[in-house]
Amino acid sequence: MTERKEHFDEDLDLRVPTKLSADLNALFEPQTGVPPEVDHAVMDRAHKHLAPLQSGRGKRLRIHWGWRIAAAAAVIILAFSLDLTKQTGPKTDSFSLSKTQAVDIDRNGRVDILDAFKLARHIETAGHTETEWDFNGDGLIDHSDVDMVAFAAVRLDKGV
Amino acid sequence: MNKITSIILTSVFVIVPVLAQQSEQSQELLTEEYSTAQAGVRFAPLHIYLDSGNSSLAAYQFELKATTGQIKIVGVEGGRHEAFKEAPYYDKAALAKDRIIIAAFSTGSNLPKDRTRIATIHLQIIGDAEPQYELKLIVAADADGKEIPAEISFEKGE
Repeated sequence: MTERKEHFDEDLDLRVPTKLSADLNALFEPQTGVPPEVDHAVMDRAHKHLAPLQSGRGKRLRIHWGWRIAAAAAVIILAFSLDLTKQTGPKTDSFSLSKTQAVDIDRNGRVDILDAFKLARHIETAGHTETEWDFNGDGLIDHSDVDMVAFAAVRLDKGV
Repeated sequence: MNKITSIILTSVFVIVPVLAQQSEQSQELLTEEYSTAQAGVRFAPLHIYLDSGNSSLAAYQFELKATTGQIKIVGVEGGRHEAFKEAPYYDKAALAKDRIIIAAFSTGSNLPKDRTRIATIHLQIIGDAEPQYELKLIVAADADGKEIPAEISFEKGE
């Protein structure tokens, strides 16, 4: 602070002199003023041009809300007509007819628990098993493949 | 404004009948449940036995269906012997129906002989009529996987 006092004199008058201000105004003011008639005419035309757009926007906004309400009503109706509260029936494992035929391990033309039993025994006793018995396609022939054969045997709508 | 009002009114006129229909359906379901309760619903187990004589039983498969009466299968559990204690294989789609195919096997050395309970089927019996069942043995086999003669039967439990 003491330094500032050394550089600036606080008693110095910083106001712009009146004459300088007048000269600057005269120098930078617009050379040609816009007559009030022209100004009014421009404003009138602008209002006329924008008025229909403004009213149209309002209309669109109302239609927009109308569509929203209609869409919501449609969704509610659809939900009720589908009765989404109703539970779906138990799902059953999908098992194609070709797979059902493939699980006939003993090739006797019938898929029953003995096919699963023979596969299970084969897995337990033999080291090597046929790759065609990898029914679930996981690269392994194990208990899950046996389960698949057994479930195929007890299916109510089995083909073989 | 008129457009909004008309859309809202239209929506209300469409929704109200749909809601009314839903309400009626719910009411019908309740009435049906009530009448079912009135008609008499009870649950009972059906024990399935297999007599393989002197042969060891390693695998079996049978089919059960109701020929008269109204039943629904509600559950299946394993048998008495250690080899068949686990729940057997059956199609889950058979639940809530009146027909089921049940099967099981054991690769162990401890296998039952003679008459043994192989499974118990839990049933929902609807109505006063006593249901009649058809029980058919599809296959029974010994430890070698060879088919063996066997006799299948059932006992109604309480």
